[in-house]
Amino acid sequence: MKKKLLILITAVMTFSLLAACSNSSSSKKADLTVWSFTDELQEPINVFKEENGVTVDLTIIPIEDYPTRLRPVLESGQGAPDVFTGELAFIKDWVEQDYWEDLSQEPYNVQEWEDDYVPYVFDLGKDSEGKIKAVSWQTTPGGIFYRRSIAKEVLGTDDPAEIGERMSSMDGLFEVGEELKSAGYRLFPDEGAVRWFAQGQDPQPWVNENNELVLTEGRINYFDYAKELRDKDLTAFAPEWSPAWFAAMDEPINYNAGWEEVDEESSDQTEVFAYALPTWGLHSVLKTNTEETVGDWAVTNGPNPYFWGGTWLGIYKGSENKDLAWKFVQMMTHDEEFLTDWATETGDVLSYLPVTEKIKGEFEEPFLGGQNNYTFFLEEAANINPGTVTRYDQQIDGFFGSMVGEYVEGTKTKEEAIEEFYRLVKNAYPDIKTPE
Amino acid sequence: MKKKDHYGYLFILPFFIVFGIFSIYPILLTFYYSFTNYSGMGVPEVIGLANYTRLLTDSYFLQAFFNTWYIWGVNFFFQMLIALGLAILFSDIRMKMKGLGFFRAVLYLPNLITIASVALLFGILLGWHHGTLNHLLMDLGIISQPINWLNDPTTAKWSVALIGAWMWFGHTFIVLMAGISGISKDYYEAALIDGANRWKTLFHITLPLLKPIMLYIMITSLIGGLQIFELPMLLTDGMGAPQGSLNTMVLYMYNQAFKFNNYGYAAAVAYGLFLITLIFSFATFKAMYRKSMD
Repeated sequence: MKKKLLILITAVMTFSLLAACSNSSSSKKADLTVWSFTDELQEPINVFKEENGVTVDLTIIPIEDYPTRLRPVLESGQGAPDVFTGELAFIKDWVEQDYWEDLSQEPYNVQEWEDDYVPYVFDLGKDSEGKIKAVSWQTTPGGIFYRRSIAKEVLGTDDPAEIGERMSSMDGLFEVGEELKSAGYRLFPDEGAVRWFAQGQDPQPWVNENNELVLTEGRINYFDYAKELRDKDLTAFAPEWSPAWFAAMDEPINYNAGWEEVDEESSDQTEVFAYALPTWGLHSVLKTNTEETVGDWAVTNGPNPYFWGGTWLGIYKGSENKDLAWKFVQMMTHDEEFLTDWATETGDVLSYLPVTEKIKGEFEEPFLGGQNNYTFFLEEAANINPGTVTRYDQQIDGFFGSMVGEYVEGTKTKEEAIEEFYRLVKNAYPDIKTPE
Repeated sequence: MKKKDHYGYLFILPFFIVFGIFSIYPILLTFYYSFTNYSGMGVPEVIGLANYTRLLTDSYFLQAFFNTWYIWGVNFFFQMLIALGLAILFSDIRMKMKGLGFFRAVLYLPNLITIASVALLFGILLGWHHGTLNHLLMDLGIISQPINWLNDPTTAKWSVALIGAWMWFGHTFIVLMAGISGISKDYYEAALIDGANRWKTLFHITLPLLKPIMLYIMITSLIGGLQIFELPMLLTDGMGAPQGSLNTMVLYMYNQAFKFNNYGYAAAVAYGLFLITLIFSFATFKAMYRKSMD
């Protein structure tokens, strides 16, 4: 008797210990769970909750940890969300996996929507066999956001068309930069801003179908453009996503305390003229970091079209709430009423053409001084080639950027930097063939 | 003869079950993965010792190995220097330090801040054209042009090492204080009566008797130091920039696993790291222990 009791106690202790580890999340399960890497879905989810009278649990994981956190739950199926989003950086990888429900099947039949969407957005959600795994409500072409007041003062106009004309080539861009510099302003916050315009000169995927690394001429030009920006002192030395980078959107930043190397004559503060950002840069970067300069912005084209980022949405294959999940995906990507409200409120540029057709005519963005950025971005979106996206982009872009940085710093020659770049790629992805 | 009771085993069983599932199983699984080309998805394929032969010739891992030692070495030297200095000062029986509890708390504080906050703070302080430190040095007329602290291999490594020393000296200080207070006061009083000065008491009483404590600090610091990861990860681009100078062994392992999806190779790196830690901990222990026995 005593023995049995002891075994029972031990068993209870063991199970309670194990249970403590696994049970915490399932105790108050919502009707629908959603995982994403930004808070952009919060508002739509509020709308969805109200309309359907359900509870939705949104988990936001910073983008750096997102794939790492998501992969184990998807592989094991334990605690996996019903709906999860994918970012451009890993969409190519994920559509090939068995994580997302095949939306080309019954009852979804998403392929019937195809003609209504910006083609590249729809294409990136398909796997290599053409099965649709994820869809997106947005399109993310990029442009150059600039300050109207500075443009008027230095360039004599703040008209996006005229400024776009002047910046439609790299030479033009540098000329504008020189004019801004002599008036005490800086063209871009940092040298990285030109990477899009260099790569976009002859867009090709980083890795081609033969698994070879492709270093296009445009990419090699990035070395020279970045160096020229540094040598001519056209940037404010505020690296992307650094506190100074954000601060310069709204106010003059401390930049030069009289350092000889820079320019003894210039003042210790400077203002940044322009940021190279895509559609989402407007509502999730510029708007959230400005107070003083609201309404003083406009957007125009750079030397060539580019796109950056984007959020795709799919249903987890093992979800037990597929009906509700599907309802949410439909609302996010195919509900005219919701999407019209969403686009007019946030300025997010949609990929769903029936709505964009409807609103692009009289769209006005107060933040951009009443400019119709919608028509502009839709035109840019038409020039996007999705064939350049590979699953390696994020890491390879990172390697390449840091090697350009070392060349600009002068620690490596261009040849050394390219050689090191090849070695870095080879080390991370031994299967990719790099030029010898 | 008294009958032996085995019920005790039942009571410790829960720990071993949990330990087995959450520690032993992953350790063995990692060992298995280190012989495969597992990419985090699909089925791993066994490729024998290929990952280990690659590890031995991998120049990036070699660089990570030296970086880790460099950073730990500088860190440990300054951490020990500051902590030992303070511990000796505060425990001097002739000084009778007031407010010791207050100082102990204050000095320990940096250790309580999360590393992410520390990285953010120092990222702003050490910035190039916008950093507080450069502006300060400029205003004082010490430098004439900005130093890009985090973009030069040497200053980047020293920055990480000194931030580490700043974070950990408080902890080391408290352990040393405990060690010093464990030394019998009789020795010091006898030395005082014999007319020994402060240096003599330090070198002939305090330091020799502190040796076991210092050995303990050194080995725990070494094990922690060989695993340095967060600061190098957060201070620059997460890849070990500039010029790979902040690429530490654990950062390299992390990137191989979670950024490049080479789980198999990362598992081999993990076992390489484990072996290195084991060898050096053992060697340190042996060297220090033999000396103190003499």
